Amino acid sequence: MPILSGSVTFARFRVEPAKEGHSDLRHGFARGLKTNAFEPLDRKSDEDRSAGFAELENPDSTEFAPSNLFYGERALFCWRVDTLRVPSAHARDELKRWMLAFEKEHHRRPSKVERSAARANIRDELRKRATPNSKNHDVAWTIGAKQLQIWTGSRKTVDEISVAIEGAFAVKLVPMIPDTLATKAGFADEALRPTAELVGIEGEEANHGEA
Amino acid sequence: MGKRESARQDAAFAKGAVGVDGQATEVEQKDLAELEHDKAREQMLRGRTWLGREFLTWLLWRSESGDPVVVMDKAGVEALFVGRVVLRGLHGDVVELSAKGTLAPYSSQVKRALDAGLLLHSARVRFTSGERTWEAALDAEFLDIRSAKLPELLTEEEDDRLSERLDLADQLSAMVNRLLESFLAVRAARAWSREVVPDLKKWMRGEDEARPPGSTVQRLAARGRAREP
Repeated sequence: MPILSGSVTFARFRVEPAKEGHSDLRHGFARGLKTNAFEPLDRKSDEDRSAGFAELENPDSTEFAPSNLFYGERALFCWRVDTLRVPSAHARDELKRWMLAFEKEHHRRPSKVERSAARANIRDELRKRATPNSKNHDVAWTIGAKQLQIWTGSRKTVDEISVAIEGAFAVKLVPMIPDTLATKAGFADEALRPTAELVGIEGEEANHGEA
Repeated sequence: MGKRESARQDAAFAKGAVGVDGQATEVEQKDLAELEHDKAREQMLRGRTWLGREFLTWLLWRSESGDPVVVMDKAGVEALFVGRVVLRGLHGDVVELSAKGTLAPYSSQVKRALDAGLLLHSARVRFTSGERTWEAALDAEFLDIRSAKLPELLTEEEDDRLSERLDLADQLSAMVNRLLESFLAVRAARAWSREVVPDLKKWMRGEDEARPPGSTVQRLAARGRAREP
């Protein structure tokens, strides 16, 4: 839980209500999180990955009681991602072992179809025994200040979490990057084209910074 | 024609490698340098990343004097670039350059590279406000806070420590925003191309010995004082 200790790495967003968004976010906050709450992986299904919101201090819980969700003016929770991965080297070793046993028993090499069926069986068996790899990415949402931080270094995960939050709360997350901060401050696009002398682009290219 | 050969031709047609006449289609091949240039250009234009690069380069220039760059909550915020810097550009033989060393960000080699058209893309910056110091790696595209070091926590209660840690992270984020706002104000002003860019270029060329980085501000202040009765 990097929010509580460890590396301080986060992406920054401004929270804006979407058109149909509700104004009082605190009210019904837990309900929003529950729409995309974490659900443990079902080993009987084919899914190898499960992701969703969970409590910050107890990622096994998705109750989101106010005492576990609100810390002063902030709402703190996490995005839990569980993945089941069967190590390919392990699966290959098991398959080799099975092929040796097969040859010993039938005095011939297994056919392609038999090998493929055995590979699927081995994968299923190993999958049942595999322990899910669990990762939690913390989220700090300062509701009053309309600011949100996603505490992870992975851009892919940041994108996944921001889409989930936008869907759950009917809000728009605007990244705090130079582009959006310039737009918010009201600077005209014309005044912020690339500086030809610094960037090294000239003429038309600099005039059409978006080109 | 065997089944396998027929399947192979169908697959080649589906992939667009051959036309209906079975002849190989002409593949437009860009040379490596062109592809590299396209990639560098796309990286710079995506999300107006050039603004972030110009911001970090401007901040490096402003920070060299050691003076506060902005004032926040009545305290000056000083910035100091530490450790590795990555520079990126569009033209020439080099599109990315990394410099490592205690004083690498302010070295003449880095300044020469900046003068050649590369700009700062990522760097580690130490911010000092009052007696407290933060440190974080920043990149020009997202301005995410990465591997930050926060000032020592003063509280002892677990809940209070969590709040203090988050408050310090918020302060760091606010500092970055404040510096960026300050840059954007300068960047959008007429003085940017008339005064700031020429000063920056002189600094990159090492011709600014007589003129410290705060010269524009200092000259304006001096002009104001001269007019006073």
